[in-house]
Amino acid sequence: MKTEEQIAAFRQTYAALRSEIGKTIVGHDSIVDGTLIALLAGGHVLLEGVPGLGKTLLVRTLSEVLDLSFNRIQFTPDLMPADILGTNIVMEVPGGRREFQFQKGPIFAHLLLADEINRATPKTQSALLEAMQEHSVTAGGEIRRLEEPFFVMATQNPIDQEGTYPLPEAQLDRFFFKLLVGYPSGAELTEVLTRTTEGTKPSISKVLEREKLLELMALVRQVPVASHVKDYAVRLVMATHSKTENAAPIANQYLRFGSSPRGAQTLVLAGKVRALVQGRFNVSFDDVHAMAPAALRHRLILNFEADAEGITTDHIITHILKEVPRDAAVEKV
Amino acid sequence: MSDFQVIENALKATSARHRLQRAWAGLWKGLLAGGLVWLVVFGIYKLAPIPVLSLSAAGVAAGLTVFIFLAIALFRRESLLEAARWLDEKQQLQQRLSTALEVAGKPESEWKQLVVSDAAGHVRGVDPRRLAPLRWPKTGRWALLVLALGAGLAFVPEYRSKAYVKKQQDTQHVRETGKQMAQFTRQQLTQKPPVFDETQKSIESVAELGEKLGKASLTPAEALKDLATMAQRLEQQTKELGDKPELRPLASRERDGSAGNQSPEALQKQIEAMQNALGKAAANSDKLDKMRDQLNEAQKALSAMGDKDAAAAQAAKEKLAQSLSELSKQMQQMGQNLQGLEEAIQALKNNQTDLALAGLQTAMQDLEKLRDQAQALQALQQQAAKMGKDLPEQLKQGQAKAAQSTLGKMIEQLKSANISREALQKILDEVNRSVEPGSQYGKVGEHLKDAVAQMKQGKKGDAAQSLADAAKELEKLQQEMADAEALLAALEALDRAQMALLTGKEWSECKGGQCQACNGAGCSMCLGRGWGHGGKPGSGVGTWADEQEGWSFWTQTGPVDNSGIERPDMDARGVSDRPDDLNQGLAPTKVRGKMSPGGQMPSITLKGVSIKGQSTVQFEEAATAAQSDAQSALNQDQVPRAYQNAVRDYFDDLKK
Repeated sequence: MKTEEQIAAFRQTYAALRSEIGKTIVGHDSIVDGTLIALLAGGHVLLEGVPGLGKTLLVRTLSEVLDLSFNRIQFTPDLMPADILGTNIVMEVPGGRREFQFQKGPIFAHLLLADEINRATPKTQSALLEAMQEHSVTAGGEIRRLEEPFFVMATQNPIDQEGTYPLPEAQLDRFFFKLLVGYPSGAELTEVLTRTTEGTKPSISKVLEREKLLELMALVRQVPVASHVKDYAVRLVMATHSKTENAAPIANQYLRFGSSPRGAQTLVLAGKVRALVQGRFNVSFDDVHAMAPAALRHRLILNFEADAEGITTDHIITHILKEVPRDAAVEKV
Repeated sequence: MSDFQVIENALKATSARHRLQRAWAGLWKGLLAGGLVWLVVFGIYKLAPIPVLSLSAAGVAAGLTVFIFLAIALFRRESLLEAARWLDEKQQLQQRLSTALEVAGKPESEWKQLVVSDAAGHVRGVDPRRLAPLRWPKTGRWALLVLALGAGLAFVPEYRSKAYVKKQQDTQHVRETGKQMAQFTRQQLTQKPPVFDETQKSIESVAELGEKLGKASLTPAEALKDLATMAQRLEQQTKELGDKPELRPLASRERDGSAGNQSPEALQKQIEAMQNALGKAAANSDKLDKMRDQLNEAQKALSAMGDKDAAAAQAAKEKLAQSLSELSKQMQQMGQNLQGLEEAIQALKNNQTDLALAGLQTAMQDLEKLRDQAQALQALQQQAAKMGKDLPEQLKQGQAKAAQSTLGKMIEQLKSANISREALQKILDEVNRSVEPGSQYGKVGEHLKDAVAQMKQGKKGDAAQSLADAAKELEKLQQEMADAEALLAALEALDRAQMALLTGKEWSECKGGQCQACNGAGCSMCLGRGWGHGGKPGSGVGTWADEQEGWSFWTQTGPVDNSGIERPDMDARGVSDRPDDLNQGLAPTKVRGKMSPGGQMPSITLKGVSIKGQSTVQFEEAATAAQSDAQSALNQDQVPRAYQNAVRDYFDDLKK
């Protein structure tokens, strides 16, 4: 298939995915787009929102439109790493001999829903580190590859913090996007009521199978990025590095740590997907700019002053986006 | 045309247009920046006395700024990638062009084709002129405003404080005076070059001082200080020359104005020449005066004839023509012919009054010339009469030139082989009588004495040599005298400069004229300077000439009533009525002595006023300034003579 056709297919598939998800999910366009962009870029997503906004429903719906294996783990404080990764158990094999066999955990799926991930202990949360970054699991001295594609869709609740464990920075950094799920508008809420209280259940059909998804993911990586667009992504990330030469003033004031290089990678990769979705063959400044909040908000660590003043990372990102020029070399006449 | 070529062409056109747009904007920016530079400097110039040169510098800087802005915009060529990025931004092409340009350099691929083709599709139809129009930028409005302000400021007069204006005028005055002094002194050097190197150097130093003052920016006080120092030096040098006893007879001759600069022969020749020219009129200057009066009356009468009736006028004209004819005859008898007079007579005969008047006028002028020549001849004759008849008289009267001439004749006679005994005896007698008056010329007397002894011994050759030595010595003395005169002329220049600076008048207004007593030769009245000193002759106490009238001599033409003139500066000094509100500390508590010439200086004891606070001026500076003022006052005889030494000593002590 020609590249041009692949791109057309990409757009068609994306539109189909949006359409199918839209049957269940009312509104939340940016969340749906963000989730799909992360999916096509091969990244994990952390969905944060108060209970009842459809976070879990979104992931479940996604699992339904994708022809992929799906597992869900409800994170609780007593959840152990082995409960996620799997463990060696003694099994009796034919012949009466007993041997240890690895019993795969729920992580061995293409799409993993880590519901309320912040309710598990850091120890358990950390069980995901290797899987999320390297797409492999080490257990019983053996490394086991996870089948591609592998996505973690985690949800967490910003309130009701009693008995929760904030995700460690290393864990957060492994999420491609952190998407904030907000309240629906009045019209959306009315539609939600209509759909959920009248006994009709929309039928969701599979839109994308595994091989096709892998092809689309490969296509995304081929989208060209101009050097000055990459430079913009780099400058945005560098601007978050407080107490450095390139730091934005607001970063110096409110940030303890800035984004890791994964932030820049995310900006470019997400930009590529967005470009394809919008029918372009190259990444633009707008793409990077649009993806910055979702890509960077969980990668910035606020200092005490920011906490005290109620400054959020989104507030800082908005400021940095205003301060960092898109193309410093372009002269305004 | 390939897609890439489409992109490239569009970018090239855009780049060129963008460059032109940048140049246009740069021009206005430069005008704004340059205008601001000019406006600021011009504004400062209007408020503060910065040098005029700074305006030129600001103008150049402004021009350079415009040029630099324009040059930067014109000479900066943007690359295709830069143009692509600019076009992406301008047309919101989502970095299609810039990405296509980057991708174009990579190996062939489907992606490359897609990206380039997509970019080419977007760049087609792009009009660079519309994208980069040459509009009047905002900076242009500001630039015009600044330029208009600058132009408007040109009509605003500069603010300068009175003190500054005065200072500028003073500085300019010092320069002008310095230049005049330098010119005057250099002229003196050219006209009368001094014989001795020391004199030459001194006078040159005066000229150099003038040149220095002409270039430097000095206050009058500073200039006066320099002038006073130089004057003191020159006075000392002049005094050293004047102290030589052998020069005194020559100096007294200069003061008397008696003939001595010319040899008797030359004087005689001049007299004869004038006598020949004047004829009998030479001896009749009184008659010439009378004739002038007659001509004057005739002129008046002729002018008044218009009022009379025709018959009376005709009679008067005939009478007038007759009297003029008699005058003409008298003139012819004296060997002179007044052409104007003849013309007037002829015009009267022809009844041409205007022509007659013109003829009379010419005749009057000719007559006056004749009279002046006659008077000059009389003066020469008087000089000749004063001329010593022989060597003793010439030496006695300080007629060095004549004495030299006489000595020369004697030497020639002595050298001739056939000199008679009587002639030798006559020379011996004359030289013998000359020994005493010659002794006042230093070695001249000795040489003459030697000559007498040698003549008595019959050594004519040695005697001639001694007389030649005496003549040479006289020559040397004359040269020294000439140098002293040159120094006095330089001193005069210095004094004129000081006067000019003190009074604030121009150099030309401070001529002063020559001393009437010595006619510029230098005398005790003019302290040897040879130029006028204004007030009445006295021993130095008094005032200079009326300051309102300058230094030119004033000839009294009638009775003067000066009763209404107020001269506070002439009020009595010293012990006088004090105002009632005077500080008690300044009231004299004890007065000792009284003013008497040559007597002890009176002393007045005061408590003085205590001035609180700290002086902002160094003591040495204050003392030097006061000493300079005092020296200047002393030089100008502004300090009464009785106090001069005390003042000088006081400041000398301060200096120590």
